[in-house]
Amino acid sequence: MSVSLKYTAWFAIASMAMLVFGSTALAHTIAGNDASFVQGIDGPAILPFIYLGAKHMVTGYDHLLFLIGVIFFLYRVRQVVQYVTLFALGHSITLLIGVLANLQVNAYIIDAVIGLSIVYKAFENIGGFKLLPFQPDTRIAVFVFGLFHGLGLATKLQEFELSGNGLVTNIISFNIGVEIGQVLALSVILILLSVWRTSTSYIRHAFTTNAALMCGGFLLAGYQLAGYFLLPVY
Amino acid sequence: MATESQINVDPRKIFTASLTALALAVVLLFTVILPAEFEFDPLGTGRLLGLDALAGAGNLALEDDQLEPHRQDFVEFHLEPFQSVEYKYQMDLDAPMVFSWSTDGGEVYYDMHAEPAGLGAEYAESFGIGNASAKMGTYHAPFAGIHGWFWENRGRQAVELRLYSAGFYVGSTIFGDGGEFQRNPEPVFE
Repeated sequence: MSVSLKYTAWFAIASMAMLVFGSTALAHTIAGNDASFVQGIDGPAILPFIYLGAKHMVTGYDHLLFLIGVIFFLYRVRQVVQYVTLFALGHSITLLIGVLANLQVNAYIIDAVIGLSIVYKAFENIGGFKLLPFQPDTRIAVFVFGLFHGLGLATKLQEFELSGNGLVTNIISFNIGVEIGQVLALSVILILLSVWRTSTSYIRHAFTTNAALMCGGFLLAGYQLAGYFLLPVY
Repeated sequence: MATESQINVDPRKIFTASLTALALAVVLLFTVILPAEFEFDPLGTGRLLGLDALAGAGNLALEDDQLEPHRQDFVEFHLEPFQSVEYKYQMDLDAPMVFSWSTDGGEVYYDMHAEPAGLGAEYAESFGIGNASAKMGTYHAPFAGIHGWFWENRGRQAVELRLYSAGFYVGSTIFGDGGEFQRNPEPVFE
C-alpha cells in the first residue's frame, strides 16, 4: 500500500509539473513577437533563425522529456553522441524536406505522436519490452521519432507565411539553432543526471522516474488529441 | 537492441506502473486539463474546482467592457514640402482604435508613437517609422497617455493628408507650426 502510494505521489508531482509547463508554454509553438518576426522577414536572416531554433528546443519540454528518456540509461559519452546524432539526423531530414516540399501535417497529431514517443522511451526504460514478444531496436525508434519531431517543427514553421526569399538559408539556420539548443539542453540534463547518478537513489528511483515520465507522455498526447478533437478548425 | 536497462523488475510491477501512468494521465486530462484548456467539462470537475474560468480567459477575440461609446474622427492636413505636423489622441491603457490615413499623392515620413501621461516626450515610444502614402491598421494603447503620428512631407510637392479613425480615445491635439490645438471628436452617441 505504502509503495503504491509513493508511486502515486510521484506521478502526481510529475503530472502537476507537466501542467505547469503546459499552461505557461501552452502548445509548443512559436508565438508572440517571434511569430510576427518570422512572418515579417524577407530574405536570409541567419542569426535570428539560429536563435529561434535554439529557443524552440530549449523551451520545448516535449523534446526535452524525450531526450531525458533517451539518455537516462546511457552512461558512455559515445553512446549519448550516437543516439543524439540519430535523433538530430531524423528531425533534420523532416524539417528540411517538410518545409521545402510544403508537407502539411496536422500539428496536434504530430505533437500527440511526440507525446507517445516519450511514453515509448519511458516504457522501454522500465523494461516494458521484455514483457512483449518483440524487442524494437532503440536506435531505429529514436531515428523514427526524430523524423516525427522534425515534422512537428516543419509544421509549426509552415503555419507562417514564410517568404521564399532566403528560405533555404533560414531553414538551415533554424535547424542549426535546433542542434545548438539541443546540445545546450543535453549538457544541462547530462550534468544533472550525472550528479544524481553518484547517489544510490538514482537506481532506486529510476523505475518511478520513468513511470512518471510515461505518465507525462500520456498527458501530452492526450492534451494534443483533445486539441485535435475539441478545437474548431478555422 | 534495446538500451541496457539497469532495472530488473517484476513484470507485474511494470504492468501496474504502465497502467497507473495511463490511468492517472486520463484522470488528470478529464478532470483538470480539458475543463481548463478546452472548456470541455464532462464530469463537472472544472466547475467544481473553478477551472472553467481559465478557458474563457484565453479568448481575445472580443472585448466588450468599455464604459463609454467610441468616438470617431476625421482630420485633413495640408503639408507643404518640409512641413510637418503631429496629431495625437488621448487614450487610456488598453484603449483600442482603428485608423486609416492616406495622402493624395506622394509619400510622407511618419512616426507612429506615444508618450506616457505625465512623463513627456523623453519617454516617448515609437511603434512604426517609415515612408508611406497610406497606412491602415489598429492600435492598442500599451499605456495611458497621448498616442498618434508625426508626419513630415519630405517631397517636393505639397500633399493633402487625410486621417479617419474610430476608437476609445477622449480628445486629441494638433501640434503644428502655429502651436497646439485641442480637438474634441464626438462620441457616436451620448
